[in-house]
Amino acid sequence: MSEQTGKQLSKEEKDARFEAELLPVLDPLYNFAYRLTLDEDDANDLVQETYLKAYRFFDYFEQGTNAKAWLFRILKNSFINEFRKKSKQPAKVDYSEVEGYYNSEDVEGESGVATTTDMRTESVQDLIGDEVASALNALPVDFRTVIILCDLEGFTYEEMAKILDIPIGTVRSRLHRARNSLKEKLEKYAKNMGYNS
Amino acid sequence: MEAKFTEAYQKVAEEGKETDCEKVAKLLNSMVDDEASAEEQTFFNSHIEECVSCFESHQKQKLLKGLVSGHLKRVIVPESLVLAIKARIQ
Repeated sequence: MSEQTGKQLSKEEKDARFEAELLPVLDPLYNFAYRLTLDEDDANDLVQETYLKAYRFFDYFEQGTNAKAWLFRILKNSFINEFRKKSKQPAKVDYSEVEGYYNSEDVEGESGVATTTDMRTESVQDLIGDEVASALNALPVDFRTVIILCDLEGFTYEEMAKILDIPIGTVRSRLHRARNSLKEKLEKYAKNMGYNS
Repeated sequence: MEAKFTEAYQKVAEEGKETDCEKVAKLLNSMVDDEASAEEQTFFNSHIEECVSCFESHQKQKLLKGLVSGHLKRVIVPESLVLAIKARIQ
């Protein structure tokens, strides 16, 4: 029994530790939730749900370990298990369920979800950002997820495997297909912007 | 380029043997994500020095990653959220 396990802590100590270790992840967590749900209210609910669960299980969280990966995993599970059922957004096909079926084919996003980002056109940077967002939002949620985890949050393949509960080989193949799909959507736009190499 | 890339990837599965270009195509993500082993990096880098097509594929893959990491706007966390969380754990 280490002194660091939460069980001996008073509520005040536990709350202080919880806030110090887990609340700094709020920003990336909210962004992840938003990119999954594509809705600010839904993201808000999902993040609250995640922190409540994390608080409930905080005694099992080892201090100093990867708090960010742990919270992302809880959020992803909440999204899959409960949240998507009651979400305002119609649930898309869970890619993992059809992964074997589509194994040798390029999977196209089945629906073009319109971007909900603010369409201010202040600069070229904004325009590119909007275009990337709408291309990304049009991908199936499982494709979107690996791209967000990898490119936006900088998780390693190993961390992604733990967050998503899938083998590393599946992380690689899913990322491969996700990027091909995103590339296709962005290619024409990138050429128009003079990005073709 | 996209079709060629996909075709190359599928051909591997069918024939079970790979050309150097096919191996490089499969390493593109590991390279841009910094997940390739030292050995894979050496192989990859020496190949793209000689092969223009694979060099271009690598540039494109880096660009693609950069578009997401550098241009996707982050959403602002509502101020009320942190208060709501703190209130709910009390």
